[in-house]
Amino acid sequence: MRAKRRVVTGPGLPAPARRTPTVRKRKSAFEPVRPTPPKMTIVPAPDYLDARSIGVDLTVDIGRGLVLPNPILVASGTFGYGIEYGDVVDVNRLGGICCKGTTLRPRIGNPTPRVTETPGGMLNSIGLQNPGVDAVVEKYSATWAGWRVPVIVNVAGESVADYVEVVRRLEGVPGIAGIELNISCPNIGKGGLQFAIDAEAAASVTAAVRRATDLPLLVKLSPNVADVRPIARAIAGAGADALTAVNTLSGIAMGATRDRPLLGNIYGGLSGPAIKPVALRIVYEVCQVVDIPVIAIGGITELADVLDYLAAGAIAVQVGTAIFADPALPARLVDELADHCHARGLTSYRSLIGSALPQRAGAPSSKGVEYRP
Amino acid sequence: MRLVGAELIESREILPGQWIQAYHAPGLATGSRAGQFVHVRTNDLAGMVLRRPFSINTADQGTGTITIHFRTVGRGTEWFTRLRSGDTIDMLGPLGRPFEVDPRSRHLLLVAGGLGMAGVRYLADEAIRDGRQVTLLFGASSARELYPTSLLPDEVEYVVATDDGSMGHHGFVTELVQEYEAWADQAFACGPEPMLRALAGLAATRRGRMGVARLGRKRGAGKADATGSPAARRKAFLQVSMEQRMGCAVGACLGCVVMTSSGAPQRVCREGPVFASDEIDWEGGWSR
Repeated sequence: MRAKRRVVTGPGLPAPARRTPTVRKRKSAFEPVRPTPPKMTIVPAPDYLDARSIGVDLTVDIGRGLVLPNPILVASGTFGYGIEYGDVVDVNRLGGICCKGTTLRPRIGNPTPRVTETPGGMLNSIGLQNPGVDAVVEKYSATWAGWRVPVIVNVAGESVADYVEVVRRLEGVPGIAGIELNISCPNIGKGGLQFAIDAEAAASVTAAVRRATDLPLLVKLSPNVADVRPIARAIAGAGADALTAVNTLSGIAMGATRDRPLLGNIYGGLSGPAIKPVALRIVYEVCQVVDIPVIAIGGITELADVLDYLAAGAIAVQVGTAIFADPALPARLVDELADHCHARGLTSYRSLIGSALPQRAGAPSSKGVEYRP
Repeated sequence: MRLVGAELIESREILPGQWIQAYHAPGLATGSRAGQFVHVRTNDLAGMVLRRPFSINTADQGTGTITIHFRTVGRGTEWFTRLRSGDTIDMLGPLGRPFEVDPRSRHLLLVAGGLGMAGVRYLADEAIRDGRQVTLLFGASSARELYPTSLLPDEVEYVVATDDGSMGHHGFVTELVQEYEAWADQAFACGPEPMLRALAGLAATRRGRMGVARLGRKRGAGKADATGSPAARRKAFLQVSMEQRMGCAVGACLGCVVMTSSGAPQRVCREGPVFASDEIDWEGGWSR
């Protein structure tokens, strides 16, 4: 019925080469023959050393009753709703989880491609794909309520009314420890970024949300502005409990054929080690002009980065892009920070905060923005 | 899903720029199924911040090894080719949902385009182990790019098409499909999106006429399975393994979505990479 053809492409080799199993040579004839030792290392492998057991206080008081067990959080958008990494990450070792950006109505997000790697970082333009606040509460809040780790819901919207409505629906839900206002997403057309680049708009959305909720309120700053300090001051003045600095930097990548930019949305947000100097500068600046805690985020891949941000005045940090390569990193940083403090005889990590800040904040510059040449 | 250290056993350039590497990773070889993938970390975290996803090309539980097959396209894949035997790298896996073969299917048609071979290669092993007949249609740009027969099981019928006609059928691999479509109970494909789209078009025209659909399934019997469920996919004539740029590979970042015919984007890493062909919106319907 059917003509079958067999095409031989190489010189007729006799048998398909089996994947050659390695023959493990014994080191000596005296060594007993044992089955191959398992090469598997499951992370998290070791039982971690509780920071308290070595006498280091890592707790972070954000205010309004939100106390984080340690200053290592995971950043919004990189950790989903906390359940995706399953057994690979023990969420209860984290200082906090900022969940994926949540909007009033479901969003399907941006066209693909949505992510691409760039030197020392990545661009993303997810476009706030999420099932909407009601679905998030229904699907995940019960799980969150059973966790020791505080879950902070990242909230985005297209208008002040959107933000207020989302926050209202989160108010009083068990398992939700706080709100992170995402007024700085660079990847959506309407809303998003427009609130973060203008001090008045940022203050008005912060104030409106503040009136609508008693939950701890974090506001995430955008680096896509010339000077972030007036905006940070305005947000602090409008009643935010803490600032998160920073969101991604707007950028583009070019497609392989160079007939259009690579990402479906053209623009994406740059994250990863590539943006750390920028984020560090912004944290350093913001910490000098506001009295509320600042949570730093941007390119953290090791303990040195955490210490840098603490020195610049941050009270806590969020790990983001590095989780993709190393899901166990945040929990490991907690241990390393505790060890670091212990080795220096510190009873609390708080004495590391702001060590690099000028003793007195300098007078406001008359020249405008200092870091511009 | 496990995070394991995998030791490189063997690395071989099978075709110009195409490599197969074997890793000792019993934690991944055991319990993985055809269609699933691993997410592999380069050790250059400052330069390359993302892991690389690779289909599990083959897995051997006896020796605890898995192989991956890739083309050197950038710094990441080149980094892998410089690894030496004995080097251990960090793998996350097995990830994603596998191909679902209907237990009644006897004739499987596998269609691969280029590197798409890596997506369906493992299924050939599984199918032969289960006593099914496998025909593998393979498309490449030229004879230089043809996957060597020596790396395929003897039992597989291997038919090739080349774009330049230097070996086998002169043209696209999709043009070979008509000849085998009637024979096949189910088809499984991996390759460039235009190829998958063409196959999905062919599959749509034969729904319910042949193959599994006539193997004693009563029309209207029982409840329809939910779209995207393993049971629903098992009944699909054509399953495709989709590719997308990927971030976390566990479903957290929503980077690797494809648009589905229900209008909701689905994650390639979590709901995929294998989808029933009618789940996918082949027009890419992002309404904007």
